[in-house]
Amino acid sequence: MATGFEEGSAWREQLSALVDGELHDASSLCAAWREDSQVRATWHAYHLIGDVLRSDDLAGSPARDALLLARVRERLAREPVVLAPAGRLETDAARDRRPMWRAAGAVAAGFVAVAGVYTLMRPAADAPSLSASLPDVPVVARADSFPPAGASQVAPFLVTSEPSLRLVRDARLDAYLAAHKQFAGSSAIGLPVYARPTVDSSPSDGR
Amino acid sequence: MSGNDADAPLVERVKRGDAKAFEMLVVKYQRRIERLIGRMVRDVDLVPDIAQETFIRAYRALPQFRGDSAFYTWLYRIAVNTAKKALMELKRDPIVAETARAARDDDEETSRVENELTDGETPDAVLASKQIAAAVNFAIEGLSEELRQAITLREIEGLSYEEIAEMMNCPIGTVRSRIFRAREAIAQRLRPLLENRSGERW
Repeated sequence: MATGFEEGSAWREQLSALVDGELHDASSLCAAWREDSQVRATWHAYHLIGDVLRSDDLAGSPARDALLLARVRERLAREPVVLAPAGRLETDAARDRRPMWRAAGAVAAGFVAVAGVYTLMRPAADAPSLSASLPDVPVVARADSFPPAGASQVAPFLVTSEPSLRLVRDARLDAYLAAHKQFAGSSAIGLPVYARPTVDSSPSDGR
Repeated sequence: MSGNDADAPLVERVKRGDAKAFEMLVVKYQRRIERLIGRMVRDVDLVPDIAQETFIRAYRALPQFRGDSAFYTWLYRIAVNTAKKALMELKRDPIVAETARAARDDDEETSRVENELTDGETPDAVLASKQIAAAVNFAIEGLSEELRQAITLREIEGLSYEEIAEMMNCPIGTVRSRIFRAREAIAQRLRPLLENRSGERW
């Protein structure tokens, strides 16, 4: 019986383990999903097999499956943000995450517009007040590029599916928001973070 | 996240901002979700739209998903709610409902045939589905006993690798390998049916 372990097929066995939730680090396969249509086709085939084993009427048609994915993918690209956990936090908020996400959602709602690049504020002018000096920045970030949260601050951040934009904190915005104390009394929101696109010469790590 | 949820690795990645991991979940559950919606909604043409809406709503709500239930249970509820909402909107908009009804009445003959097609697709698509089902069932019969048992325990009984290892009295690594080889053997038969003429579909 052929084992099928030809050169370079180790990823297939890993993908099979991921199908069953028995592969704990999915990062390289998720990265491969983006780049490699064979990975996508194999993932689809493995799941189709499972579905059909359970029920013939889930056989569906590949064309239909591909069409739905294309439509969802297109809509995902237009989705503004997905707020993600900011990692391990030392604050009160860490013990009760739910209000943090709602509050952070309010922050995000105030800052975002649709379609890829999010204008934070009006373009900077040479004005003395902080509010006028805020730069026109896109509010996007990579989940893995956030600064570590300090003991007294929570840093929720905004994430999109666009991996090439990196997170950069701007002290002027931090100062502006702290000064306005919009979120005073809430331990959940210290300072929101945002980013501007940088010319990123380092390769995307696939996350 | 529930330790028993096979979707945990991917859900965690989505929560960290990996939208592609969400696409992987879409591909995993799209057939089941479409079947569920198809049972709730008489007009099969609505199913893809409602399915699409379901997945987007799930994506948006994912930050609030804390793993109290399995991911699929949560997704299932969203699908049900989305379908109900769509049905209510149809009822509320008389023009839409009337147009749909008129189209159906004008086309009694065709619609009777279409009702026989569980997913409203063309005869070609239905044939493709039947071929796929036949290929999978034929392939699984051709597997060795070990491979067939491993994949059956996993896909039909839903056992974990550890549980299967216990039942089959072999190491977990062997379970993983057997399930993989079973899948690949079946996939070999399926691939000609899945590839379209222009090459990659995905």
